[in-house]
Amino acid sequence: MSDTVNVPVKKKKVLVAMSGGVDSSVAAALLKEQGYDVVGATMQVWDYTNCDITEGNGTCCSSLDVDDARSVADKLDIPFYVLNCEAKFKASVIDPFINAYLQGQTPLPCVNCNTYLKFDHLVKKMKELECDYLATGHYAQIIQSASGEYQIKTSEDDWKDQTYFLFTIDPAIVPKLLFPIGHLKKPEVRKLAESQGLVVAKKKDSQGICFVGNMGYDNFIKGQVSEIILKSKRGVLKRYPTNEVMAQHDGIHHYTIGQSKGLGMTYHEKLFVIKIDATDNTVWVGEEKYLFHDEVDVIEPHIISQFTDGEELSVKIRYQHKGSIAKVVKSETGFKLKFKEPQRAITPGQAAVFYSQEKVLLGGGWIKL
Amino acid sequence: MLKIPIYLDFNATAPLSQKVITSMPQLLQLWGNPSSIHLASRGPKTILRETKKKLADYLKVSSLEIIFNSGASEGNNTVLKSVWNTFRPGNHFNHSVKNEFLISAVEHPSITKTAQFLETEGAIVHWIPVSLNGDIDLNFIKEKLNERTALVSVMFANNETGTVFPIKDIVALAKAKNVLVHSDCVQAFGKTDFNLQDLGVDYATISAHKFYALKGCGVLFARKNAPYINLVHGGGQERSRRGGTENILGIASLGVMVDELSQVSHNETEIRILRDYFETEIKAQIPAVSVTCEKSIRLANTSSLVITGVDGETLLVSLDLKGFAVSTGAACSSGNPEPSPVLLALGLTRQEAQNSLRVSLGWTTTKEHIDLFIHQLVEVVEHLRAINEAQTNV
Repeated sequence: MSDTVNVPVKKKKVLVAMSGGVDSSVAAALLKEQGYDVVGATMQVWDYTNCDITEGNGTCCSSLDVDDARSVADKLDIPFYVLNCEAKFKASVIDPFINAYLQGQTPLPCVNCNTYLKFDHLVKKMKELECDYLATGHYAQIIQSASGEYQIKTSEDDWKDQTYFLFTIDPAIVPKLLFPIGHLKKPEVRKLAESQGLVVAKKKDSQGICFVGNMGYDNFIKGQVSEIILKSKRGVLKRYPTNEVMAQHDGIHHYTIGQSKGLGMTYHEKLFVIKIDATDNTVWVGEEKYLFHDEVDVIEPHIISQFTDGEELSVKIRYQHKGSIAKVVKSETGFKLKFKEPQRAITPGQAAVFYSQEKVLLGGGWIKL
Repeated sequence: MLKIPIYLDFNATAPLSQKVITSMPQLLQLWGNPSSIHLASRGPKTILRETKKKLADYLKVSSLEIIFNSGASEGNNTVLKSVWNTFRPGNHFNHSVKNEFLISAVEHPSITKTAQFLETEGAIVHWIPVSLNGDIDLNFIKEKLNERTALVSVMFANNETGTVFPIKDIVALAKAKNVLVHSDCVQAFGKTDFNLQDLGVDYATISAHKFYALKGCGVLFARKNAPYINLVHGGGQERSRRGGTENILGIASLGVMVDELSQVSHNETEIRILRDYFETEIKAQIPAVSVTCEKSIRLANTSSLVITGVDGETLLVSLDLKGFAVSTGAACSSGNPEPSPVLLALGLTRQEAQNSLRVSLGWTTTKEHIDLFIHQLVEVVEHLRAINEAQTNV
């Protein structure tokens, strides 16, 4: 920082994505405290009036989360805007989410939201509004390597770390990103919110998928997809590997790999969904041992920081996964992963995300059957 | 403290007049209930009566035909529902059923949404088309008017484009068929001189806050003997036509502004010069920009632009951050991904509506404001277009 006198230093300007939750609220507060010129924005992504969550009086724009974000912005005395992203959100998050379920996959909509909304749409807004940085309340950290490269590293809070959802970020924008709470643990974030007097300090953590809310993804899909299409997803439950037909089912979108409850049939031993075949709507169920695999193909690869072909990396195959060592080998469509130890319930539609030993986010891709 | 922006959104609301602000301490003493008999009611009663009288004189109607309410949304609801409930099928007090409404396609939501509600009750609504030039289809009105038409409702001037509609011609067509006419005069009141005798309508609605007075106060004109059914039942206020203790402060603030109506004509001329200057400069300095309904008869203060390739929402936010308050017909944070129904009804494409910007001037607008705004708008549009170009070239 220059300490030249008489030259007014223009404050760096940050666009901060505010969801109305405690994390992004504290992120905004910290930026303000650090002397940035802060502009807050909430993306209006979905008409929550038909949702059973957080709805106030049912008129448009009355989502309580938006109100919370606005009240935090008021408290911090920063400009705040609600940006309409409904069309984009529907096309790049909701529709793929529904399609994935109808293809027998278990989708990860938060990644698409990051890819197409937060770190694309908002990056554009950042430029348009002449901001120097884009900040979010993600549990992740930006670091600079010895060679000066900007990298994404996992959060200090292992439990909350959200880098799993960030593997599609374009490396070119990493220097433009700020994660102001990534060095904190959740209880510290709450404490800060409380000491700043933010209304969201005691707000519950958002659970699950924002647009699904409490209704459950089953009911959400039912509300969005025509009955004819849903009926076309019916098929049979077959025993793996014997091929024996065990029961009829009401649609492959009700199943996810590794599931053992709510299979829609009773059986004297505990069975698990092993595989879902969308071509003929067969859901294979079997003993738990068939859930374990040590190889998986990953497609649509993204690389944020370079690594060597064939390197052994820590790989997370779902958000709550701790990470397991796998050899990551380039393939024609992405990567082939060879795990040291077999992994349980590797699920198509989820991501495989790679980390270095230093917990730097290197990249990832989508798990293919 | 809030930074005071350069305010160019007078069609949304107007800042309080200095005259209103300075009269407030005195008006705040008028806390009495005008319906009471004792001393405390006298001041409020007087304000109520005098404001009504002054306003009635200006509008060249009788005081008895003026009803104070909470605003034009209430007024518009009252008119449409009064007429519907008077002539609706099944109303045994009425022998001539009239269930058709003729309503312009570019009305305020307090008209369109009310009409849509009446459709669910069995009303038939014919939406009068308005062309891209701002011309309302008089032939459509002529063709649709019949003995079952209950009401024609056309706004005096449009809030988004400023287009002024030929209310007198519409009244002439309707009166030939003995049909009632309502006009939402919210945008015209205080921006251009008019009176209701001359206009010849049966109902008119006005809002105080668009004319530098307080929010929460409206005026409904209902011609003597025109059908009227309360929207709000209650005490005997407003000759039992609108229940609820009167908003004395709002009414008094409107009264202060009624005294300023003598300036309308002069200010209108000044504002028109500024608006025309703004449009000339913008068209000269920004490529690919057009003025919606430019050739129509327009309010002097309104300019509705389409700036190709520039998202209205982003433009609005950018300008706000630089201290300029304007408005857009683009889909905004309303929870509704649709852009302005008015602009779409005029025949603009969704993309054009998405690229729209509304600038509306007022009595406190100066040439300096306009020059600063032009300068900033040119800069912001260039910046946003450059980013779009860079993205499409990737």
